[in-house]
Amino acid sequence: MTYFVRKGLFYLVALWAAVTLNFFIPRLMPGTPVDSLMAKLAQRGGQVNPETRRAFELLLGADTDEPLLAQYWSYLGNTLRGEFGVSVSSYPTPVAEVISASLPWTVVLVGIATLLSFLLGVTLGMVVGWRRGTWLDSLIPATTVLAAVPYFWLALILSAVFAGTLGWFPLNGGYDVVLDPGWSLEFIGSAVYHGILPALTIVISSVGGWLLGMRNMMVSTGSEDYVLTAQAKGLRGSRVMLRYAARNAVLPSVAGFAISLGFVVSGSIITEQVFSYPGIGSKLLQAVQNNDYALMQGIFLIITVAVLGANLVVDLLYGLIDPRTRS
Amino acid sequence: MTSTIEVRDLVKDYTIRSGLSRARLRAVDDVTFTLTPGRTLALVGESGSGKSTIARMIARLERPSSGSITLTGADGERVPDRRYRNHVQMVFQDPFASLNPFHTIEHHLARPLRLHGRASDIRAEVARLLERVNLPAAEIAHRRPHELSGGQRQRVAIARALAPGARVVVADEPVSMLDVSIRLGVLTLLNRLQREEGLAILYITHDLATARHFSDDIMVLYRGRVVERGPADEVILRPKHPYTRLLAAAAPDPDARGRSLESGLDVAGNPPVRVDDPGCTFRDRCPMATRVCAQPVADHRVADDHYAKCWMYVDGT
Amino acid sequence: MTNLLPRWSARLGVGLGLVGLITLFGLLGPLLVGDPNAIRDIGLTPPGGGHLLGTTQTGQDVFAQLAYATRGSLEIGVLVGVMATLLSAVFGVIGAYVGGFTDEAFSLLSNVMLVIPGLPLVIVIAGFVPPESRGTWTIALVLALTGWAASARVLRAQTLSLRNRDYVAAAKVAGERPWRIVAVEIAPNLLPLLASQFVFAVILAILNEAGLAFLGLGTSNSSTLGTMLYYAQNGFALQRDAWWWLVPPGLLIALLGCGLALINFSIDEIIDPKLRNRARRRDTVAAPAPTVDDRDPDRVLTVRDLEVVYRVERPVHAVKGVSLTLRRGEILGLAGESGCGKTTLAYAINRLHRPPAEVTAGSVVFHDRDGTDIDVLALGPGELRAFRWDKLSMVFQGAMNSLNPVTTVRAQLDDVLTTHRPGMSAAERRERCQEVLRLVGVDPARLGSYAHELSGGMRQRVMIAAALLLEPQVMIMDEPTTALDVVVQRGILRELLRFRDELGFAVVFITHDLPLLLELADRIAVMKDGEIVEYDTAERVHRDPRHPYTRTLLASFPSLTGDRRDYAREGAR
Repeated sequence: MTYFVRKGLFYLVALWAAVTLNFFIPRLMPGTPVDSLMAKLAQRGGQVNPETRRAFELLLGADTDEPLLAQYWSYLGNTLRGEFGVSVSSYPTPVAEVISASLPWTVVLVGIATLLSFLLGVTLGMVVGWRRGTWLDSLIPATTVLAAVPYFWLALILSAVFAGTLGWFPLNGGYDVVLDPGWSLEFIGSAVYHGILPALTIVISSVGGWLLGMRNMMVSTGSEDYVLTAQAKGLRGSRVMLRYAARNAVLPSVAGFAISLGFVVSGSIITEQVFSYPGIGSKLLQAVQNNDYALMQGIFLIITVAVLGANLVVDLLYGLIDPRTRS
Repeated sequence: MTSTIEVRDLVKDYTIRSGLSRARLRAVDDVTFTLTPGRTLALVGESGSGKSTIARMIARLERPSSGSITLTGADGERVPDRRYRNHVQMVFQDPFASLNPFHTIEHHLARPLRLHGRASDIRAEVARLLERVNLPAAEIAHRRPHELSGGQRQRVAIARALAPGARVVVADEPVSMLDVSIRLGVLTLLNRLQREEGLAILYITHDLATARHFSDDIMVLYRGRVVERGPADEVILRPKHPYTRLLAAAAPDPDARGRSLESGLDVAGNPPVRVDDPGCTFRDRCPMATRVCAQPVADHRVADDHYAKCWMYVDGT
Repeated sequence: MTNLLPRWSARLGVGLGLVGLITLFGLLGPLLVGDPNAIRDIGLTPPGGGHLLGTTQTGQDVFAQLAYATRGSLEIGVLVGVMATLLSAVFGVIGAYVGGFTDEAFSLLSNVMLVIPGLPLVIVIAGFVPPESRGTWTIALVLALTGWAASARVLRAQTLSLRNRDYVAAAKVAGERPWRIVAVEIAPNLLPLLASQFVFAVILAILNEAGLAFLGLGTSNSSTLGTMLYYAQNGFALQRDAWWWLVPPGLLIALLGCGLALINFSIDEIIDPKLRNRARRRDTVAAPAPTVDDRDPDRVLTVRDLEVVYRVERPVHAVKGVSLTLRRGEILGLAGESGCGKTTLAYAINRLHRPPAEVTAGSVVFHDRDGTDIDVLALGPGELRAFRWDKLSMVFQGAMNSLNPVTTVRAQLDDVLTTHRPGMSAAERRERCQEVLRLVGVDPARLGSYAHELSGGMRQRVMIAAALLLEPQVMIMDEPTTALDVVVQRGILRELLRFRDELGFAVVFITHDLPLLLELADRIAVMKDGEIVEYDTAERVHRDPRHPYTRTLLASFPSLTGDRRDYAREGAR
């Protein structure tokens, strides 16, 4: 049980660190973000009431006499309640609302793409590592090239070829704009259709990492005594590969999920930008370009929480598939 | 120049942390002995009996939880701590792990020479050391460990132990990782060096036969406690403690061909006794165990200089 | 030193070539191409003529821009690589070496940094920095601060393992100071890993910077490949079919990353030699088994003139013309030292040898109880699987590692039965598993246990139980008790003899422990350098050894109870 408690505590610490980082970054940076934000707000005809100003000040810091610790406490309170202030770029929508509108797009896109790429990469890596010394070895250099291609450049090329020249897929967007977002079959179909190229980009660029990691582990486990024993037992080759070699070789891939997920999330932000996908990555860039600091920080927090959550789930899963963690 | 090590009431506890709970594990329990110049003391036990922990404490790689290790020089004075390593050196079990793959053999020997300010002509001294352990210096000095055989590596390790001018050598299973046909050669080399230089040697092993042939005295360790000690031939040929008897019966012996493998007297199935039990910790496997064995047990003299930690000998032999 | 340098391979060559050419282009290119910002022609001229790679929207030469951008990207990459590797070395190596609270704090910090997504954090930080102060150093610093954690974790794990090596303990015993131990004993062995982490950091930095620049958050004072792509994208290069503006910068990043990754492969092979490419698998065409003339009705296994060769650069003849006959119910001891070929022989008998090992000649014939002879080397894949374990089972050396660590004992016993006895019901299988465990003295409740929950002796008992499951006629045991304590070893051997008497299988018992074989075996074969130098009954090997090597081996085990010999006077050679 201690394994699960330890993991839970660790993610609490990580979450606290992210929230705290979020509090200190604007305070450590040069410039007075609150003033520029207020000016922008006034430009857009927003009413600058003291309450709004106070929320921004807590978020971004200002030259007040209020001690840092007190600011920190109030900031933590606001964060816990999900009050991130008002978005300037989408004035007067609150940050929380902007996020909740765009988050599902990214979660579904990145979630499905990551799952696909993990399954594909691990399966291919398993076969390549197991059948070492055959023509499959030549797959490895190919995957290195793919892993070294910048996400956005691949996205550009894919959209030029498949959306531009061939016209098989839409150039950009998350759904056909003539449709009303909702749970209609037509809308979901359109969303899937629009999601294929971005998802393909993520899968192609991240599959190499999984493949290579799994392949190396398969090579290592292939020389373990229990694999030899399984072969001596006369078990079918597929069974030895799956139940003995791969079952053990996949553990480091799962344990290292956090590192890879970080890459995927980073890459998908840029991919969204290329495809003008209505997800949280595009919103983050919109916020950065418009100096919408409140939205920027809200999105950073949400992405962090989502990534931490995904890692937590994977770690819990790891506890289930590796019996040694339970002792 | 000679040195003596006196080990008194040595205890080592490990704390084992699992989650939030802590448990204490006694690895070495109240061990006392003396290493004297020109003599070899064998410390015999199975893996996990605490014999390596004792070696590492004497080599100052680990700190005793209590008890003392006192080093006395030839003049009868206690050797100050900063000079301790000049006197006490160690030979490790695995010669493939105890030499750094990155460095040459010369580096391994030159470093201790420099550190202890021995010899002005390092190169000549390295050559002399290698010749002491029967290795051709000109061929070996510039090689790296992976270019040497196991036996050659262990000879280098012995030379390294001698480099600071050690008077006490702790040899922790020095031949158990070597091929059988070269084991005796390495042990014989240690033995010869000991005679020529008057070294005090602590020979740690699980092999009763080499313990008998290469040492003057033997201590048998079981779960951190010395259960029997005495002159080598006494302990092996006339073992008194039931555990020593069990070990002696289990040791493969070429002269015992035809002996039934049934000679073991191990009794399984009793509830296991905890390591920190005040009574005899062998009583769960002992065929002679009685109720009194749960009481704290002392060393009893069974012959001249021969002691067994067993209730059977409470009235002497 | 040879083991610390990458081995030459085509991969390494291509990698070094790519990285070398691109670096050269970045270093020398800017000296030759002139001002990259000068407007030289009308916008979007296609490649050819005066412009090798055409012009941008505003008429600047793409090739000239590419040279400067390559230099910018390399600069950032190396800068971040150095900083991130230093950071990870400080947190990973020092933490692990010092240990205790420092290590816990450092490793918590790097683990937290690892799970916080890097690029969003970089974007947020860059968003707060006004464009005019977003210089190369600022961007590099931000990328390094957010990108060191993964390396730190890898370095920490390696340092922890190096720290506990005996040569570190030996340096301590020699009296070396802590900083010297880190710098002279530990650090050199970390070098390959540090190099690979550095290369990895460079790749990552170039990619991340390109992404950042593409989003308009890159450096303001220098041009990189990412900035070029940013301008190309915002100049609608794609929509205007100006591929010459968009493709070269991305391709250059990909080629550079690929070259660095190829170099890293070669470094990884130093760290883990298992990853080295090995010989292609070749299926040997076994010669038909020669008709065996000595018709010993009792034999169960005949090995004749078996040759096994390791097909490496300089082929190693591991087994040379070995012939053995195993009779029903007999224990045949195979004695020899490490590297004598005894394990290779055992594997070859069951065709478990792996490339580059190859059986080049000879035959292995199994004489089944019902009188049929099975030519093991000629069996097809399916037949071979059916033969294994059913007729001939094995117990391996690694008492600790023969059990799959992630599945239960039950699953590993059960799959033998589901494979070889498909007719058995689940209840019958469970009954059989419990039976064999009881036979070897392991509580059947242990069926639900995992390997790590069993002691060494218990694991080896479980493996023997597994070997007994199908009541094979031959059992090959490769150093089955070497890692165990003598008392446990005796117990297991005692039981082995009992099973042999009850079940009547024959055993090939492989060990370096000749005295043990003298007690245990009926006949003994002594192996040296791939050949059997002596093959006789145990009695005769003991009383009257013929080969000098057998005598050497016998003399290597002093008698426990015999006369005390004075080894010191017998010369030290």
